[in-house]
Amino acid sequence: MSASEEGLASLARPFVRMPRAVAIYVGAIVVLALVLVTGVSVGRYAVDPVRILDIVGQSLADPFRDLAEVDERIVMLVRLPRVLLVALSGAALAVSGAALQGVFRNPLVSPQVLGISQGAAFGGAMAILFGIWGLPLLAIVFLSGLSALALVGFIARINGRSEIVTVILSGMIVGAMFSALVSLAQFLADPNGPLPAIVYWLMGSFASTTWERLFVAAPGLAVGMILLWALRFRLNVLSLDEAEARSLGARPDVERWLVFALVAFIVGSQVAVSGIVGWIGLVIPHAARLMVGHDHRTLLPASMLLGAAYLVAVDTLARTMTAAEIPLGILTALVGAPVFAVLLRNHYRDRTAK
Amino acid sequence: MTPTLARGLGVAALLLGTVVPAFSQDITFTDQEGREVSLAGPAERIVTIPMPMASSVIAIDGGTDHLAGMNPVSKAAITEGILGKIFPESRDINDSVTAANFVPNVEELAAVNPDLVIQWGGRGGDLVDPITNAGMTAMLILYGTEERTRGYMGMTAEALGKPERFAEHEVWRDAVMSEIEAKTKDIPEGERPKVLHFSRILNGMSAAGSGNNYNDWYINLVGGKNAAADLEGSKPVNAEQVAAWDPDIITLNNFEPGLTVQAVYDDPVLSLTSAAKNHRVYRLPLGGYRWDPPNQESPLTWMWLANIVHPELFDFDLRAEMKSAYKTLYAYELSEADIDSILWMDMQGDAANYDAFQAD
Repeated sequence: MSASEEGLASLARPFVRMPRAVAIYVGAIVVLALVLVTGVSVGRYAVDPVRILDIVGQSLADPFRDLAEVDERIVMLVRLPRVLLVALSGAALAVSGAALQGVFRNPLVSPQVLGISQGAAFGGAMAILFGIWGLPLLAIVFLSGLSALALVGFIARINGRSEIVTVILSGMIVGAMFSALVSLAQFLADPNGPLPAIVYWLMGSFASTTWERLFVAAPGLAVGMILLWALRFRLNVLSLDEAEARSLGARPDVERWLVFALVAFIVGSQVAVSGIVGWIGLVIPHAARLMVGHDHRTLLPASMLLGAAYLVAVDTLARTMTAAEIPLGILTALVGAPVFAVLLRNHYRDRTAK
Repeated sequence: MTPTLARGLGVAALLLGTVVPAFSQDITFTDQEGREVSLAGPAERIVTIPMPMASSVIAIDGGTDHLAGMNPVSKAAITEGILGKIFPESRDINDSVTAANFVPNVEELAAVNPDLVIQWGGRGGDLVDPITNAGMTAMLILYGTEERTRGYMGMTAEALGKPERFAEHEVWRDAVMSEIEAKTKDIPEGERPKVLHFSRILNGMSAAGSGNNYNDWYINLVGGKNAAADLEGSKPVNAEQVAAWDPDIITLNNFEPGLTVQAVYDDPVLSLTSAAKNHRVYRLPLGGYRWDPPNQESPLTWMWLANIVHPELFDFDLRAEMKSAYKTLYAYELSEADIDSILWMDMQGDAANYDAFQAD
């Protein structure tokens, strides 16, 4: 496959790319910082920028002070946790997409391929259907996402090992099954009661973010991301042919499942607090690959920065453009699909031109 | 209207109802999708698929005798609410004729053998064709405005062969409406309190906007101003937007199970709105049906909200009005305890201006 050829090529000359990569990182960090500051500064409730600096400054000096005013609470309890959670989710989703694409040696896979998102969605739909909210809902979503992966593992493991193809097919089976169960939950739900709640939740939104939710999701997102980063060398090896990988001393089967479990941790944590947010894991790694190449040592951090900046930018639009919150999943798909199409065409046009 | 007169009309209707079929006079009217609905005589077995219609049929008919099937969600609402207490036999009415999502189960329907099926209009043929293809008569209704509500309640009364029941009901709606309107229509924009209705608030909030939205309509009727008028229909919003609107009064929906006004007081941002600071947060009552969407008890909703929004203008004796309405609608004597539970006295008895609803 061509992706692995290029992966090998970039492995062979890692240092040639470094200066360019450094420039790209600096640029990405600046963009991310700008987006984060903008995210905290704008919203439907007008707060003066000087006042925001004052509020944030006071809270840095005394993190546990009493927030009595509306503008203080909006900046410190609504915008700040939301922007941070969105950034963390964007980074983690992009990294999981990049890792999965490496493992499957296929640029078109995303966390959806493993059925994790659908499993988590099912947990959420059932919880809402039975009127379960708050922390128990998050726990149910997270566990059902993990159990979807466990199911994929069980189905795909034949004669003690699982081939890539059987994993993808098992993921499709499990994903389709959980999608059907989500539909069943919607079918059973009262159209005047839980049904709209399920529908909005499935569309994805960070509107109900609190510090509590940030702390619930942060461990899964951060640990998942850090461990995937720790596996960056193994990801380079895994993205080679199965035989090549084995010859380089890898145990592709075990390591693959380790990556899958980390991705399930990330996706389960994210879906639990904000519903289904698609396309990040597909679009961002592509953009990052065009900028820094296929080496996971540079690809993962680039995906992280881009994913965070992109999702914060989209979420800021979602909550400020109209008086109504625009469900985030709609925007990521509306923006993501055309961007992906352009990237794809440019990428292959350049390659064929060579 | 006095209860005696209402009773008298009811008896007259009953007599008419028994006489008319003897001539097997056709009943023909046009439903809200412009279709002609034709019945060989007053409908004896009605199936209601839209949620609020089961209790409306009971109210218009004055009993459950002609309700042959309903939505499982309607049945849950009836058996768990006060109607289950008034009409215990409603527990035995078929609720397998449709799924909660309004898709009819034709075999079950055929087994129930209804002479009229009430179904939503404007939602595509999939909900209607199975009924008509099986040779059953469907009456299609549209949701949202007072005008539509009166339209389909009138049609239902006509189908039941009791047009006078609705005529009587409409007199009540008109009387309450014009009494309220007379006091509110000249209130200048600046003196109308901003009212925000949350159609959803647990785990994400949605606010009721304008357009063909009943909540918006009655907020304006009672002399309020919809804080979320920028939105079209019910749309998700964030806390920041609610803070920017800063509503004077917040009303909560009746659909989310277990919802209490504490949801507003516990939220760091919502609790700083004028509404929360002045204890003007209220959950819509749950009577024979939920008081937020249009139904046979809507005038009670208007009077309840009028007392809350403009206590200086309105002084409805809601408890007395409820007793008389329940007598007319369901031939039932409401106890003081019934009223307390309908109005959520335990939960919000201490809210601002709610003392107007306390028992003497």
